[in-house]
Amino acid sequence: MAQFDSQALEHLKKLCRIDCTPEEDVELLDSLKRVLDYVGQLNEVNTEGVKTCRYVLRSMLKNQMREDEVKDLLPREQFLANAPDQIGGMIRVPPVLKAP
Amino acid sequence: MKDLPYELWEPVIGLEIHVQLNTKSKLFSTAPNRFGDEPNTNISVVCTGQPGALPVLNKEAVRKAVQFGLAVGSKINLISNFDRKSYFYPDSPRNFQITQFENPLLVGGLVTADVNGKTMTFQINRAHIEDDAGMLKHFTSFAGVDYNRAGAPLIEIVSEPCIHSPREAAAYAMAVRAIVLYLDASDGNMEEGSLRIDANISVRPKGEKGLRPRIEIKNMNSFTFLEMAIEAEISRQIALYINNPQRAPIELIPPGTYRWDPDTKQTILMRRKESADDYRYFPEPDLVPIVLTESYIDELRSTLPELPHDRFRRYVSDLNLTEYAASTLINEKMLSDYFEEALKICKNARSLCNWITVEFAGRLKEKGKTLLDIGIPPAHLAKLVQMIEENQITGRIAKSVADEMVASPGMDPEAIVRQNPDYQPVGDIASIEPLVDQVLAENPQSIADFKQGRDKAFAFLVGSVMKLTRGKASPQVVNELLRKKISQK
Amino acid sequence: MKPFHLCSAIELRDAFLKGEASAVQIAEHFILRIEKHNKEIGAFLSVLGPRALLKAEALDKKRAHNKPLGKMAAIPVAIKDNMHIQGEITTCGSKFLKNYKAPFEATAVRLLEEEDALLIGKTNLDEFAMGSTNENSAYFPAHNPWNLKCVPGGSSGGSAAAVAARLALIATGSDTGGSIRQPAGFCGVVGFKPTYGRVSRYGLVAFGSSLDQIGPLSATVADAALSMEVMGRHCPHDATSLDLPGESYTFPKNLDEIKIGVPWSFLENLKPDVRDNFNHSLDTLKSLGAKVIHIDLDILKYTVAVYYILATAEASTNLARFDGIRYGVRSRNAKTLENIYEYSRKEGFGPEVKRRIMLGTYVLSAGYQDAYYKKAQKVRTLMLDAFEKAFSDCDAVALPIAPSGAFEAGSIHDPLEIYLQDIFTIPANLAGLPAVSVPSGYDSRGMPLGLQIIGPQMCDVPVLQYAHAYEQASRHMQIPPSYIGSSK
Repeated sequence: MAQFDSQALEHLKKLCRIDCTPEEDVELLDSLKRVLDYVGQLNEVNTEGVKTCRYVLRSMLKNQMREDEVKDLLPREQFLANAPDQIGGMIRVPPVLKAP
Repeated sequence: MKDLPYELWEPVIGLEIHVQLNTKSKLFSTAPNRFGDEPNTNISVVCTGQPGALPVLNKEAVRKAVQFGLAVGSKINLISNFDRKSYFYPDSPRNFQITQFENPLLVGGLVTADVNGKTMTFQINRAHIEDDAGMLKHFTSFAGVDYNRAGAPLIEIVSEPCIHSPREAAAYAMAVRAIVLYLDASDGNMEEGSLRIDANISVRPKGEKGLRPRIEIKNMNSFTFLEMAIEAEISRQIALYINNPQRAPIELIPPGTYRWDPDTKQTILMRRKESADDYRYFPEPDLVPIVLTESYIDELRSTLPELPHDRFRRYVSDLNLTEYAASTLINEKMLSDYFEEALKICKNARSLCNWITVEFAGRLKEKGKTLLDIGIPPAHLAKLVQMIEENQITGRIAKSVADEMVASPGMDPEAIVRQNPDYQPVGDIASIEPLVDQVLAENPQSIADFKQGRDKAFAFLVGSVMKLTRGKASPQVVNELLRKKISQK
Repeated sequence: MKPFHLCSAIELRDAFLKGEASAVQIAEHFILRIEKHNKEIGAFLSVLGPRALLKAEALDKKRAHNKPLGKMAAIPVAIKDNMHIQGEITTCGSKFLKNYKAPFEATAVRLLEEEDALLIGKTNLDEFAMGSTNENSAYFPAHNPWNLKCVPGGSSGGSAAAVAARLALIATGSDTGGSIRQPAGFCGVVGFKPTYGRVSRYGLVAFGSSLDQIGPLSATVADAALSMEVMGRHCPHDATSLDLPGESYTFPKNLDEIKIGVPWSFLENLKPDVRDNFNHSLDTLKSLGAKVIHIDLDILKYTVAVYYILATAEASTNLARFDGIRYGVRSRNAKTLENIYEYSRKEGFGPEVKRRIMLGTYVLSAGYQDAYYKKAQKVRTLMLDAFEKAFSDCDAVALPIAPSGAFEAGSIHDPLEIYLQDIFTIPANLAGLPAVSVPSGYDSRGMPLGLQIIGPQMCDVPVLQYAHAYEQASRHMQIPPSYIGSSK
């Protein structure tokens, strides 16, 4: 496997949107490297012709669907009660560039 | 901009169309699937990404998606799955979208559309269902997030890059829209966002085989803008290649996403594609496979309504409408339905079509309305045309009646005619005959001219009779009478 | 009658139904016990005294009017704090959610309430259920009632400690890699993880969606079975919920004709006291009529590797919603949108959570997904196949719960070493199998040990039946001496 280095860590932090202190960076670099080394042992398992396990239940569940009915609405006050910042019934965030 | 050698370049266009399905509830959430309400009033714990909430698939969304697949002849995957697509944005309640990446519901398909009088078929690469994001509303010092739209069911239809002009793109998109309207799968309202089109555009010298780098244009919310934006982008790309012959295509056209600015009529860069766009697709563990049976698909196939292109063909071959007229009608399903209703009463399809798409459309446009929201029932419009057919009124009178129908929607044209003596067609020979005699007596020279082969003289005589009857006489009757009497002289 | 906390849940319910105790008396008794002992044990993050008393009063009224009462009537039940009780705070042991009021109820919790359980409080856990010692709780650690210096196990450490000290008679836990069974083993109580899909995950804050299950911790197997009768129902809000009727549990007296498989080659490095205890348990099973045979589950040596790829991958996306936008604590230092994400998550998550999110993101990321995530999914298939093959030769698999009894808090710092503690419990999660931990004795330091019995998918009833037979024959259920006394 490729080496897990501080550049990889920086990229990773961006992907998961988690900022860290320098001390955390040091610790994470070390522990992640070792865990990745450890889990890398899966390389030695022969999985030729083996399918990925998409569903653990062998008697595969399927088509768990529901009727097209409106129910169980979340009242707006309840939703906003947990909101860190709100305005005019909307969640408020700092101004953003238009659309991703 | 100096003239570009368009004929040497071939545009290559692929469209991704997101259609919002018109189910009552959302795709994985039981909240209402509705537009325009107060922010955050159509939400549940699922579509606001509350911890502990889980998605459950709406079977009606699957049904509508499969019907779309049947309408375009897709291969319907009997087993399909969902995947998580990760990205952080405030309008995403979970910071991942549930979509179908590996095993979509529909693969392939064909869309037939009329492009400038020619029938063309366009290929679909795949189509799948996924949930929509919420809406971010931008203000100067902040942005507000509304999750009403979050979780709405979408079908994403991806075409092959088989479109080669802005006109083709618009025709294809209109045809797709017509199909979902006819299936009652969506209201296809582009202003409200129930149909959104993203275009992927590149150009290449004619004859070149491979594909050159492309960019994406998003959020063009009308067919006119779609054509304009694609046209503008094609020009931009060709100009870049022409003016920089030494540089590599990928330098000139780096991947990016643009949006169409309707005010400046230009495409504006929104963002470059970065490697940080790593969606990390993987199987959605909270959902189980969709497994469809042949009998389910057969049942849906048997309930398919008449599709737009079939209706188009019927209008052209059976009803003898021009392709242009037929297109105008079928692309707006409700208008076409209106036409079909009217057709039950009046059989002159061409005339009906003209009154619908030209006469009434023109009058209503001034009022800012259409036949679909003015409140004139199809039966009334049909009766008006029928009255012309039966020579009860002249075309000219009919126009006045139409004016009154538009002014007072819901008034029966037969009643309008009955109530206004000026509209009574003078068709009875007894009252016209003396006037014909009078005109003939006063214009012996015209009779002579006509007998010598000058048709203009006849028209003059007809016109004179019509003047005396103040336009109310049936032209046909006047014609016949004149001819008869002239031949007797 | 004997003090309430020395009863089993069923005994106490029956006493209430017979009129030997009132629900209010029961509620008050346990609330007082919690008040007295929780500070030193740290089992509860919040106590729902007034709520429980209200419910108790209602139950007494129902009984006085001869109205029908539920199967869990007056049983004090603790709920792990990653499951929602509507209107109450769910912290998941994290600072991120310290003020989060649950807008809906977990199905499992609702079912317990509908059967008249007394929900007595929310129990402590490793943050977002990530951990094996309850040391990762952002609030305070929980301690093992057998030795307060030792960990209770995790992530359902609070639930296990609460039951061990009889601060509640039943507690719910969640098990992703052993988080019910391992703390149950460490604390000398029963812990059961059902077949995947048996209990609804609706209202359980997700960690590893294809691995998580809710299950009971209790003093006796019969109490666990009672909880399963109540919680093991199909739920229309959870698409992975088994569409099967609830099951009822009867307990045959012996294990005649039952074959127990042991993967000896997987157990080569057991500590002597754990090995002796395990062998002793096998002898007990044999004395009940079971046959013990050797089975091959060698593939399980990769179990920790597979788990820490798959569980963290799922968790990295499940925890992406904690972004400070819609709920949870938003960083005060945030000026831009990116700040909100990065600082809120930096401040709100503890180090283990961060580590696992990053690991999970990495194994899914472009260029690495094939080598890590997809590879692990294939090895998981091999493990499912291996179990299927094993179960064609035996009715259940027996294993120790953990490589040792509970160790002292702070004695293991290396995350990888902690991960390896889960080696015997993870397989049942990867394969979706029902698995139970029953008290099996003590290690050389006097700390409890547990016997694990794993059955084929859907065989929840047989697994608890075998456990019950073992329990009745071995009688290891005990209360730590310091907590036997009455609360007065």
